[in-house]
Amino acid sequence: MPQSAAPLRQLRHRARRHFGGAGRRGLLIAFEGADGSGKTTQRKLFKTWLKADGYDVVTTKWNSSDLIKPIIKSRKTVQALSPEEFSLLHAADFRHRVEHTVLPALWDGQIVIADRFLFTGLARDVARGLDLDWVLKLYQPLLWPDLVFYFAVTPDTSSRRVTTTRTPNFYESGRDVTDIADPVESYYTFVQRVIREYESLAIVFNMTTIDGELPIADQHHRLRELFREGQTRPWSEWNVDAVAEWLAVSGNGR
Amino acid sequence: MNRRGRLIAVDGVDGKAVNAAAKAAVGAVARARRGGVSFWDASGVFGELVVADEEVAGRPSARTLLLLYAADLAFRLRWEIRPAIAAGRAVAAAPYVATSIAFGRAAGLPAGWLKNLFAFAPKADEVRILDQPSPRTPHPAGFVDFSCRRLLANGHGLTRRQLADRVRSHLKIGAR
Repeated sequence: MPQSAAPLRQLRHRARRHFGGAGRRGLLIAFEGADGSGKTTQRKLFKTWLKADGYDVVTTKWNSSDLIKPIIKSRKTVQALSPEEFSLLHAADFRHRVEHTVLPALWDGQIVIADRFLFTGLARDVARGLDLDWVLKLYQPLLWPDLVFYFAVTPDTSSRRVTTTRTPNFYESGRDVTDIADPVESYYTFVQRVIREYESLAIVFNMTTIDGELPIADQHHRLRELFREGQTRPWSEWNVDAVAEWLAVSGNGR
Repeated sequence: MNRRGRLIAVDGVDGKAVNAAAKAAVGAVARARRGGVSFWDASGVFGELVVADEEVAGRPSARTLLLLYAADLAFRLRWEIRPAIAAGRAVAAAPYVATSIAFGRAAGLPAGWLKNLFAFAPKADEVRILDQPSPRTPHPAGFVDFSCRRLLANGHGLTRRQLADRVRSHLKIGAR
């Protein structure tokens, strides 16, 4: 591999030794759900609580890399993206953040809170008519979070929360695939598809479902409980390839 | 009679040579059936990367570059290649998928991931692989040179030409 002189086997061994040992390690916690599900509110409360408890916390948001975000933004502005281009560009943004934000922070023992993770790409892209298997493989080597909180709301709740304060934009409302001109009507149609995909993914990928219709304080206290239960989970062996490849990509500096 | 168009894939390490060969391939077609050449970065994705501050944003890895290449190819298929074929014309893709797959293999990426990445791209009617050495000019054009420079900037002890030669080897292997 030209990206590193070290064979992949050695890098896998380093990954296991680093993350698999005893003691506190970096944790990756993903917040997932449809727009208007309340996950961002909960993510902020959760981060504040963790920091007050002495944890070193890093946040990463969907479509936020300094390198790829401007590329996506300019194409969204002119409404020039097909579902494939939309999917591939978001996967590129995700990969860049995994390599430059998520894995470095985990390696350094920090808690990474992801406001949307790869499941967002899966739910939205499949709702746009793309094949789940094709999309999932774009995100390989897969990096599985230690905890995934899925904030479940109905399409009615999502639609009400989003559209009472603003008009959903072109891609948010799925107007690129619904053929419905009215943003609010299109949003409702599209979010039904997105939520249907999320419900399937939550089962397949064993996410922890939080009832997003509950009061904010109740949800937050539930997250605290779940974090305390989940933070001592052993490191997932599934992540070894993702870490090994990142070690190769980032050179031998670590 | 409305004849179906043709897709001619022209792949190789030297971007300038690939572009010239693609133009020649279309030029050899009857004028009424010429559908033009679809060049790398028609969507402008890589042009935007050039102006990004990679020192701050971080340099893209081979996977990231290939995801961007695939996004650009999806754009080219939608706006250039498929419309030309639908109009019964011959269109050349310069380059198409073989170059990027060879780059991915040279960078150590799994063949299965690369195959899946380009699963949306239709098979070309004709594939022309240019087996030329990587160019010696300091600033050759094209995806391979662009991407090799970014990978090597991470400091991996290879020269640009050595990495480009690996891509060339994988291109030859893939053509068999």
